Amino acid sequence: MAMLQATDIHKKFGHLKVLKGVSLQVEKGEVIAIIGPSGSGKSTLLRCLNRLEKIDQGCIEIEGETMVDNGPKGWAVYSDEKDIERMRRKMGMVFQNFNLFPHKSVLENLMLAPVLVNGMDKTEAEKIARELLDKVGLSFKADNYPFELSGGQQQRVAIARALTLNPSIMCFDEPTSALDPELTGEVLHVMRDLALEHMTMIVVTHEIGFAREVANRVIFMDDGLIVEQGTAEEVLLNPAQERTRSFLGTVLMAR
Amino acid sequence: MDYVLTLMPSMLKGWTVTLQIFFIVLIFALPLGVIMGIARLSAFKPLAWFMELYVWLFRGTPLLLQLLFWYFGLMAVGIRLEREMAVYVAFVLNYAAYLAEIFRSGIQSIDKGQYEAADVLGLNRKQTMSKIVLPQVFKRVMPPIGNEVINLVKDTALVYIIAMSELSRAARIHAVRDENLIPFAIAAVFYLLMTAIVQQFFKWLESKLDYYR
Repeated sequence: MAMLQATDIHKKFGHLKVLKGVSLQVEKGEVIAIIGPSGSGKSTLLRCLNRLEKIDQGCIEIEGETMVDNGPKGWAVYSDEKDIERMRRKMGMVFQNFNLFPHKSVLENLMLAPVLVNGMDKTEAEKIARELLDKVGLSFKADNYPFELSGGQQQRVAIARALTLNPSIMCFDEPTSALDPELTGEVLHVMRDLALEHMTMIVVTHEIGFAREVANRVIFMDDGLIVEQGTAEEVLLNPAQERTRSFLGTVLMAR
Repeated sequence: MDYVLTLMPSMLKGWTVTLQIFFIVLIFALPLGVIMGIARLSAFKPLAWFMELYVWLFRGTPLLLQLLFWYFGLMAVGIRLEREMAVYVAFVLNYAAYLAEIFRSGIQSIDKGQYEAADVLGLNRKQTMSKIVLPQVFKRVMPPIGNEVINLVKDTALVYIIAMSELSRAARIHAVRDENLIPFAIAAVFYLLMTAIVQQFFKWLESKLDYYR
Protein backbone atom coordinates (compact mmCIF):
# COMPACT_ATOMS: atom_id res chain seq x y z
CA MET A 1 0.00 0.00 0.00
CA ALA A 2 1.27 3.43 -0.92
CA MET A 3 2.09 5.85 1.84
CA LEU A 4 0.36 8.57 -0.08
CA GLN A 5 -1.65 8.46 -3.26
CA ALA A 6 -2.84 11.58 -5.03
CA THR A 7 -4.86 11.16 -8.20
CA ASP A 8 -5.73 13.74 -10.85
CA ILE A 9 -5.52 16.78 -8.57
CA HIS A 10 -7.05 19.98 -9.90
CA LYS A 11 -6.77 23.31 -8.14
CA LYS A 12 -7.76 26.81 -9.18
CA PHE A 13 -7.12 30.15 -7.52
CA GLY A 14 -9.93 32.26 -8.89
CA HIS A 15 -9.64 31.75 -12.63
CA LEU A 16 -6.00 30.73 -12.51
CA LYS A 17 -5.55 26.98 -12.91
CA VAL A 18 -2.57 26.09 -10.74
CA LEU A 19 -2.84 22.30 -10.84
CA LYS A 20 -4.26 20.74 -14.00
CA GLY A 21 -4.46 17.07 -13.15
CA VAL A 22 -1.48 15.94 -11.13
CA SER A 23 -1.05 12.39 -9.87
CA LEU A 24 1.56 11.30 -7.40
CA GLN A 25 2.25 8.08 -5.55
CA VAL A 26 4.68 7.98 -2.66
CA GLU A 27 5.99 4.72 -1.22
CA LYS A 28 7.27 4.23 2.29
CA GLY A 29 10.87 5.41 2.67
CA GLU A 30 10.94 7.25 -0.63
CA VAL A 31 12.59 10.65 -0.89
CA ILE A 32 10.94 12.66 -3.63
CA ALA A 33 12.26 15.97 -4.88
CA ILE A 34 9.86 18.20 -6.78
CA ILE A 35 11.58 20.79 -8.94
CA GLY A 36 10.33 23.31 -11.44
CA PRO A 37 10.13 27.02 -12.18
CA SER A 38 8.23 29.32 -9.84
CA GLY A 39 4.55 29.32 -10.63
CA SER A 40 4.70 25.71 -11.79
CA GLY A 41 2.37 24.59 -8.98
CA LYS A 42 4.90 22.55 -7.00
CA SER A 43 4.34 24.32 -3.67
CA THR A 44 0.60 24.31 -4.20
CA LEU A 45 0.70 20.56 -4.80
CA LEU A 46 2.54 20.05 -1.52
CA ARG A 47 0.11 22.31 0.33
CA CYS A 48 -2.83 20.42 -1.13
CA LEU A 49 -1.48 17.11 0.15
CA ASN A 50 -1.88 18.19 3.78
CA ARG A 51 -4.93 20.36 3.11
CA LEU A 52 -3.36 23.75 3.66
CA GLU A 53 -5.16 24.31 0.37
CA LYS A 54 -8.38 22.57 -0.59
CA ILE A 55 -8.44 20.88 -3.98
CA ASP A 56 -11.26 21.32 -6.50
CA GLN A 57 -11.10 17.86 -8.03
CA GLY A 58 -9.19 14.67 -7.42
CA CYS A 59 -8.49 12.10 -4.75
CA ILE A 60 -5.95 11.96 -1.94
CA GLU A 61 -5.34 8.87 0.18
CA ILE A 62 -2.97 8.64 3.13
CA GLU A 63 -1.93 5.11 4.04
CA GLY A 64 -5.03 3.78 2.31
CA GLU A 65 -7.43 6.15 4.06
CA THR A 66 -9.37 8.59 1.89
CA MET A 67 -8.92 12.23 2.79
CA VAL A 68 -10.75 13.60 -0.22
CA ASP A 69 -12.39 12.12 -3.31
CA ASN A 70 -14.60 13.26 -6.14
CA GLY A 71 -18.26 13.30 -5.17
CA PRO A 72 -21.21 12.45 -7.42
CA LYS A 73 -21.12 15.95 -8.95
CA GLY A 74 -17.48 15.52 -9.93
CA TRP A 75 -16.12 17.97 -7.35
CA ALA A 76 -13.83 17.04 -4.52
CA VAL A 77 -15.58 16.13 -1.27
CA TYR A 78 -13.55 15.98 1.92
CA SER A 79 -14.02 13.34 4.63
CA ASP A 80 -15.03 14.08 8.22
CA GLU A 81 -12.95 16.76 9.87
CA LYS A 82 -11.94 14.38 12.66
CA ASP A 83 -10.62 11.76 10.24
CA ILE A 84 -8.78 14.39 8.22
CA GLU A 85 -7.10 15.77 11.32
CA ARG A 86 -5.95 12.26 12.23
CA MET A 87 -4.51 11.78 8.73
CA ARG A 88 -2.83 15.16 8.76
CA ARG A 89 -1.10 14.24 12.03
CA LYS A 90 0.88 11.74 9.96
CA MET A 91 2.41 14.53 7.92
CA GLY A 92 5.04 16.92 9.18
CA MET A 93 5.44 20.21 7.36
CA VAL A 94 8.45 22.50 7.06
CA PHE A 95 7.89 25.96 5.58
CA GLN A 96 10.11 28.23 3.55
CA ASN A 97 9.88 30.94 6.24
CA PHE A 98 10.28 28.54 9.21
CA ASN A 99 7.16 29.93 10.94
CA LEU A 100 8.50 29.31 14.41
CA PHE A 101 6.43 30.85 17.19
CA PRO A 102 8.46 33.94 18.14
CA HIS A 103 7.02 34.29 21.65
CA LYS A 104 7.97 30.74 22.62
CA SER A 105 11.45 29.48 23.39
CA VAL A 106 12.94 26.82 21.14
CA LEU A 107 12.03 24.13 23.66
CA GLU A 108 8.47 25.46 24.00
CA ASN A 109 8.10 25.50 20.22
CA LEU A 110 8.81 21.78 20.24
CA MET A 111 6.69 20.92 23.28
CA LEU A 112 3.58 22.79 22.16
CA ALA A 113 1.97 20.26 19.83
CA PRO A 114 2.68 17.09 21.86
CA VAL A 115 1.20 18.72 24.98
CA LEU A 116 -1.76 20.53 23.39
CA VAL A 117 -2.66 18.08 20.65
CA ASN A 118 -1.63 14.71 22.02
CA GLY A 119 -2.18 15.53 25.67
CA MET A 120 1.30 14.34 26.57
CA ASP A 121 2.57 15.33 30.01
CA LYS A 122 5.18 18.03 30.08
CA THR A 123 8.10 15.97 31.38
CA GLU A 124 7.65 13.43 28.61
CA ALA A 125 7.20 16.15 25.97
CA GLU A 126 10.35 17.91 27.17
CA LYS A 127 12.33 14.69 26.98
CA ILE A 128 11.27 14.12 23.37
CA ALA A 129 11.87 17.78 22.51
CA ARG A 130 15.42 17.62 23.88
CA GLU A 131 16.14 14.41 21.97
CA LEU A 132 14.99 16.00 18.73
CA LEU A 133 17.01 19.16 19.40
CA ASP A 134 20.02 16.96 19.95
CA LYS A 135 19.33 15.27 16.63
CA VAL A 136 19.40 18.58 14.75
CA GLY A 137 22.44 19.67 16.75
CA LEU A 138 20.79 22.52 18.66
CA SER A 139 20.58 21.32 22.26
CA PHE A 140 22.52 24.39 23.34
CA LYS A 141 19.77 26.67 21.99
CA ALA A 142 16.89 25.05 23.89
CA ASP A 143 16.18 28.09 26.05
CA ASN A 144 16.77 30.72 23.39
CA TYR A 145 14.05 32.50 21.43
CA PRO A 146 13.80 32.16 17.64
CA PHE A 147 15.04 35.72 16.97
CA GLU A 148 18.33 34.80 18.66
CA LEU A 149 18.99 32.05 16.09
CA SER A 150 20.37 32.24 12.56
CA GLY A 151 18.06 31.35 9.69
CA GLY A 152 19.66 27.95 9.32
CA GLN A 153 19.26 27.23 13.02
CA GLN A 154 15.63 28.36 12.92
CA GLN A 155 14.91 26.00 10.05
CA ARG A 156 16.58 23.12 11.91
CA VAL A 157 14.33 23.89 14.89
CA ALA A 158 11.34 23.94 12.53
CA ILE A 159 12.32 20.48 11.26
CA ALA A 160 12.64 19.20 14.83
CA ARG A 161 9.26 20.72 15.66
CA ALA A 162 7.63 18.97 12.70
CA LEU A 163 9.11 15.69 13.97
CA THR A 164 7.57 16.01 17.45
CA LEU A 165 4.32 14.42 16.33
CA ASN A 166 6.24 11.46 14.95
CA PRO A 167 5.01 11.82 11.35
CA SER A 168 5.21 9.12 8.68
CA ILE A 169 5.80 11.65 5.91
CA MET A 170 7.80 14.86 6.05
CA CYS A 171 6.91 17.62 3.61
CA PHE A 172 9.38 20.41 2.90
CA ASP A 173 8.27 23.53 1.05
CA GLU A 174 11.43 25.16 -0.33
CA PRO A 175 13.17 24.75 3.03
CA THR A 176 16.36 26.56 2.02
CA SER A 177 14.98 29.29 -0.24
CA ALA A 178 14.85 31.94 2.49
CA LEU A 179 18.39 31.21 3.67
CA ASP A 180 21.69 32.83 2.89
CA PRO A 181 23.71 30.45 0.69
CA GLU A 182 26.23 29.67 3.44
CA LEU A 183 23.41 28.50 5.74
CA THR A 184 21.70 26.05 3.38
CA GLY A 185 24.28 23.34 4.06
CA GLU A 186 23.37 22.76 7.70
CA VAL A 187 19.67 22.40 6.82
CA LEU A 188 20.34 20.03 3.92
CA HIS A 189 22.60 18.05 6.25
CA VAL A 190 19.75 17.50 8.71
CA MET A 191 17.46 16.50 5.85
CA ARG A 192 20.05 14.09 4.50
CA ASP A 193 20.25 12.47 7.95
CA LEU A 194 16.48 12.04 7.94
CA ALA A 195 16.64 10.41 4.52
CA LEU A 196 19.30 8.01 5.80
CA GLU A 197 16.84 6.97 8.53
CA HIS A 198 14.40 6.10 5.73
CA MET A 199 11.98 8.87 6.54
CA THR A 200 9.47 9.28 3.72
CA MET A 201 10.05 12.76 2.36
CA ILE A 202 8.56 15.06 -0.22
CA VAL A 203 10.82 18.03 -0.87
CA VAL A 204 9.90 21.00 -3.05
CA THR A 205 13.28 22.52 -3.75
CA HIS A 206 15.54 24.54 -5.96
CA GLU A 207 18.58 22.65 -4.69
CA ILE A 208 19.42 20.53 -7.72
CA GLY A 209 22.50 19.19 -5.94
CA PHE A 210 20.44 17.96 -3.01
CA ALA A 211 17.90 16.41 -5.36
CA ARG A 212 20.64 14.58 -7.24
CA GLU A 213 22.34 13.32 -4.13
CA VAL A 214 19.45 12.38 -1.83
CA ALA A 215 16.25 11.93 -3.82
CA ASN A 216 15.15 8.47 -5.01
CA ARG A 217 12.86 10.15 -7.45
CA VAL A 218 12.85 13.57 -9.04
CA ILE A 219 9.68 15.13 -10.38
CA PHE A 220 9.81 18.07 -12.76
CA MET A 221 6.69 20.22 -12.83
CA ASP A 222 5.74 23.02 -15.14
CA ASP A 223 2.52 24.91 -15.73
CA GLY A 224 0.46 22.83 -13.30
CA LEU A 225 1.49 19.46 -14.66
CA ILE A 226 4.16 16.85 -14.04
CA VAL A 227 6.33 17.04 -17.13
CA GLU A 228 8.56 14.13 -16.27
CA GLN A 229 9.72 12.03 -13.38
CA GLY A 230 12.24 9.33 -12.71
CA THR A 231 15.47 8.71 -10.84
CA ALA A 232 17.72 11.68 -10.27
CA GLU A 233 19.99 10.48 -13.04
CA GLU A 234 17.20 10.14 -15.55
CA VAL A 235 15.60 13.50 -14.88
CA LEU A 236 18.61 15.62 -14.00
CA LEU A 237 21.30 14.15 -16.22
CA ASN A 238 19.35 12.77 -19.18
CA PRO A 239 16.02 14.58 -19.27
CA ALA A 240 13.67 13.30 -21.95
CA GLN A 241 11.66 16.48 -22.28
CA GLU A 242 12.88 19.64 -23.92
CA ARG A 243 11.12 21.73 -21.19
CA THR A 244 13.11 19.96 -18.46
CA ARG A 245 16.36 20.46 -20.33
CA SER A 246 15.84 24.18 -20.75
CA PHE A 247 14.85 24.58 -17.07
CA LEU A 248 17.92 22.68 -15.87
CA GLY A 249 20.04 24.68 -18.28
CA THR A 250 18.86 27.95 -16.74
CA VAL A 251 19.19 26.72 -13.16
CA LEU A 252 22.64 25.26 -13.60
CA MET A 253 23.87 28.24 -15.55
CA ALA A 254 22.79 30.51 -12.71
CA ARG A 255 24.98 28.67 -10.22
CA MET B 1 -0.78 76.86 50.96
CA ASP B 2 -3.44 76.82 53.64
CA TYR B 3 -5.96 77.51 50.92
CA VAL B 4 -4.73 74.51 48.94
CA LEU B 5 -5.11 72.32 52.00
CA THR B 6 -8.70 73.41 52.51
CA LEU B 7 -9.46 72.23 49.00
CA MET B 8 -7.91 68.83 49.50
CA PRO B 9 -10.73 66.88 51.15
CA SER B 10 -13.22 67.49 48.35
CA MET B 11 -10.59 67.21 45.63
CA LEU B 12 -9.42 63.88 47.01
CA LYS B 13 -12.99 62.70 47.20
CA GLY B 14 -13.49 63.66 43.58
CA TRP B 15 -10.27 61.94 42.73
CA THR B 16 -11.44 58.61 44.20
CA VAL B 17 -14.56 58.86 42.01
CA THR B 18 -12.31 59.45 38.98
CA LEU B 19 -10.17 56.45 39.90
CA GLN B 20 -13.23 54.30 40.39
CA ILE B 21 -14.57 55.15 36.94
CA PHE B 22 -11.12 54.59 35.44
CA PHE B 23 -10.60 51.11 36.86
CA ILE B 24 -14.11 49.80 36.42
CA VAL B 25 -14.20 50.94 32.78
CA LEU B 26 -10.81 49.32 32.08
CA ILE B 27 -11.74 46.03 33.71
CA PHE B 28 -14.82 45.68 31.52
CA ALA B 29 -13.72 47.43 28.32
CA LEU B 30 -10.44 45.50 27.79
CA PRO B 31 -11.88 41.96 27.61
CA LEU B 32 -14.92 43.27 25.74
CA GLY B 33 -12.56 44.92 23.22
CA VAL B 34 -10.73 41.62 22.66
CA ILE B 35 -13.99 39.74 22.12
CA MET B 36 -15.34 42.42 19.80
CA GLY B 37 -12.07 42.56 17.88
CA ILE B 38 -12.28 38.81 17.25
CA ALA B 39 -16.00 39.07 16.42
CA ARG B 40 -15.21 41.80 13.90
CA LEU B 41 -13.13 39.21 12.01
CA SER B 42 -15.69 36.43 12.34
CA ALA B 43 -16.31 34.22 9.32
CA PHE B 44 -20.00 34.53 10.27
CA LYS B 45 -20.65 37.65 8.20
CA PRO B 46 -23.70 39.08 10.03
CA LEU B 47 -21.66 39.20 13.24
CA ALA B 48 -18.73 40.92 11.49
CA TRP B 49 -21.12 43.43 9.91
CA PHE B 50 -22.84 44.09 13.21
CA MET B 51 -19.46 44.81 14.80
CA GLU B 52 -18.56 47.17 11.99
CA LEU B 53 -21.82 49.04 12.53
CA TYR B 54 -21.20 49.07 16.27
CA VAL B 55 -17.71 50.52 15.90
CA TRP B 56 -18.98 53.15 13.49
CA LEU B 57 -21.75 54.18 15.86
CA PHE B 58 -19.68 54.37 19.03
CA ARG B 59 -16.56 55.83 17.49
CA GLY B 60 -18.50 58.13 15.24
CA THR B 61 -20.35 60.10 17.91
CA PRO B 62 -18.92 62.16 20.78
CA LEU B 63 -18.58 60.34 24.07
CA LEU B 64 -20.25 63.36 25.65
CA LEU B 65 -23.42 62.74 23.62
CA GLN B 66 -23.32 59.06 24.47
CA LEU B 67 -23.18 59.93 28.16
CA LEU B 68 -26.19 62.19 27.76
CA PHE B 69 -28.01 59.45 25.89
CA TRP B 70 -27.48 56.76 28.52
CA TYR B 71 -28.53 59.06 31.35
CA PHE B 72 -31.01 61.68 30.10
CA GLY B 73 -31.98 59.99 26.84
CA LEU B 74 -33.08 56.81 28.52
CA MET B 75 -34.71 58.79 31.30
CA ALA B 76 -36.84 60.52 28.68
CA VAL B 77 -38.26 57.17 27.58
CA GLY B 78 -38.85 56.09 31.17
CA ILE B 79 -35.73 53.99 31.80
CA ARG B 80 -33.76 55.34 34.71
CA LEU B 81 -30.11 54.29 35.01
CA GLU B 82 -28.21 55.31 38.12
CA ARG B 83 -25.66 58.02 37.41
CA GLU B 84 -22.75 55.64 37.98
CA MET B 85 -24.37 52.96 35.84
CA ALA B 86 -24.96 55.39 32.97
CA VAL B 87 -21.30 56.42 33.16
CA TYR B 88 -20.04 52.84 33.18
CA VAL B 89 -22.27 51.77 30.31
CA ALA B 90 -21.35 54.79 28.19
CA PHE B 91 -17.60 54.52 28.82
CA VAL B 92 -17.32 50.74 28.53
CA LEU B 93 -19.26 50.60 25.25
CA ASN B 94 -17.34 53.54 23.83
CA TYR B 95 -13.89 52.36 24.85
CA ALA B 96 -14.62 48.79 23.78
CA ALA B 97 -15.24 50.12 20.26
CA TYR B 98 -11.82 51.77 20.11
CA LEU B 99 -10.09 48.79 21.70
CA ALA B 100 -11.88 46.40 19.32
CA GLU B 101 -10.36 48.24 16.37
CA ILE B 102 -6.91 48.07 17.94
CA PHE B 103 -7.22 44.34 18.60
CA ARG B 104 -8.67 43.71 15.14
CA SER B 105 -5.73 45.38 13.42
CA GLY B 106 -3.36 43.57 15.81
CA ILE B 107 -4.84 40.20 14.95
CA GLN B 108 -4.67 40.97 11.24
CA SER B 109 -1.02 41.95 11.54
CA ILE B 110 -0.03 38.42 12.59
CA ASP B 111 1.64 36.55 9.74
CA LYS B 112 -0.45 33.93 7.92
CA GLY B 113 2.45 31.51 8.44
CA GLN B 114 1.75 31.47 12.18
CA TYR B 115 -1.76 30.14 11.56
CA GLU B 116 -0.47 27.60 9.05
CA ALA B 117 2.25 26.37 11.39
CA ALA B 118 -0.32 25.96 14.18
CA ASP B 119 -2.67 24.25 11.74
CA VAL B 120 -0.18 21.64 10.52
CA LEU B 121 0.77 20.92 14.13
CA GLY B 122 -2.87 20.07 14.80
CA LEU B 123 -3.82 22.98 17.04
CA ASN B 124 -7.51 23.79 16.81
CA ARG B 125 -8.81 27.32 16.25
CA LYS B 126 -9.25 28.11 19.90
CA GLN B 127 -5.73 26.92 20.78
CA THR B 128 -4.28 28.83 17.84
CA MET B 129 -6.00 32.01 18.99
CA SER B 130 -5.19 31.72 22.69
CA LYS B 131 -1.68 30.23 22.54
CA ILE B 132 -0.22 31.58 19.31
CA VAL B 133 -2.06 34.63 17.99
CA LEU B 134 -3.30 36.61 21.00
CA PRO B 135 -0.03 36.56 22.99
CA GLN B 136 1.71 38.10 20.00
CA VAL B 137 -1.15 40.54 19.46
CA PHE B 138 -0.93 41.80 23.05
CA LYS B 139 2.69 42.72 22.57
CA ARG B 140 2.03 44.54 19.33
CA VAL B 141 -0.98 46.52 20.55
CA MET B 142 0.57 47.66 23.82
CA PRO B 143 1.58 51.14 22.54
CA PRO B 144 -1.88 52.03 21.10
CA ILE B 145 -3.58 50.53 24.17
CA GLY B 146 -1.38 52.76 26.33
CA ASN B 147 -2.67 55.72 24.33
CA GLU B 148 -6.27 54.76 24.96
CA VAL B 149 -5.70 54.24 28.66
CA ILE B 150 -4.20 57.71 28.96
CA ASN B 151 -7.16 59.11 27.04
CA LEU B 152 -9.44 57.36 29.50
CA VAL B 153 -7.76 59.10 32.44
CA LYS B 154 -8.66 62.45 30.93
CA ASP B 155 -12.05 61.48 29.48
CA THR B 156 -13.34 60.72 32.96
CA ALA B 157 -13.67 64.50 33.29
CA LEU B 158 -16.61 64.32 30.87
CA VAL B 159 -18.93 62.86 33.49
CA TYR B 160 -19.40 66.35 34.95
CA ILE B 161 -22.13 66.67 32.26
CA ILE B 162 -24.42 64.41 34.25
CA ALA B 163 -23.33 66.05 37.51
CA MET B 164 -21.14 63.32 38.90
CA SER B 165 -18.68 64.71 41.42
CA GLU B 166 -15.34 63.57 40.09
CA LEU B 167 -12.06 65.46 40.22
CA SER B 168 -12.65 68.12 37.56
CA ARG B 169 -16.15 68.90 38.85
CA ALA B 170 -14.82 69.31 42.40
CA ALA B 171 -12.26 71.75 40.99
CA ARG B 172 -14.91 73.63 39.05
CA ILE B 173 -17.15 74.01 42.11
CA HIS B 174 -14.31 75.50 44.15
CA ALA B 175 -13.15 77.73 41.33
CA VAL B 176 -16.59 79.24 40.92
CA ARG B 177 -17.18 79.61 44.67
CA ASP B 178 -13.77 81.13 45.47
CA GLU B 179 -13.39 83.01 42.21
CA ASN B 180 -9.87 81.81 41.42
CA LEU B 181 -8.20 79.26 39.17
CA ILE B 182 -6.02 77.44 41.70
CA PRO B 183 -8.43 74.48 41.99
CA PHE B 184 -8.02 73.86 38.25
CA ALA B 185 -4.24 73.91 38.61
CA ILE B 186 -4.48 71.35 41.37
CA ALA B 187 -6.75 69.19 39.22
CA ALA B 188 -4.19 69.38 36.43
CA VAL B 189 -1.49 68.13 38.82
CA PHE B 190 -3.71 65.19 39.78
CA TYR B 191 -4.27 64.28 36.13
CA LEU B 192 -0.57 64.57 35.37
CA LEU B 193 0.21 62.29 38.29
CA MET B 194 -2.21 59.68 37.04
CA THR B 195 -1.00 59.80 33.44
CA ALA B 196 2.61 59.64 34.65
CA ILE B 197 1.81 56.42 36.50
CA VAL B 198 0.00 54.97 33.49
CA GLN B 199 2.88 55.93 31.21
CA GLN B 200 5.47 54.31 33.51
CA PHE B 201 3.31 51.22 33.87
CA PHE B 202 3.14 50.74 30.10
CA LYS B 203 6.85 51.38 29.75
CA TRP B 204 7.44 48.60 32.27
CA LEU B 205 4.94 46.32 30.51
CA GLU B 206 6.58 46.86 27.13
CA SER B 207 10.01 46.11 28.58
CA LYS B 208 8.55 42.96 30.14
CA LEU B 209 7.39 41.84 26.68
CA ASP B 210 10.75 42.65 25.13
CA TYR B 211 12.12 39.15 25.62
CA TYR B 212 11.20 38.22 22.05
CA ARG B 213 10.86 39.93 18.72
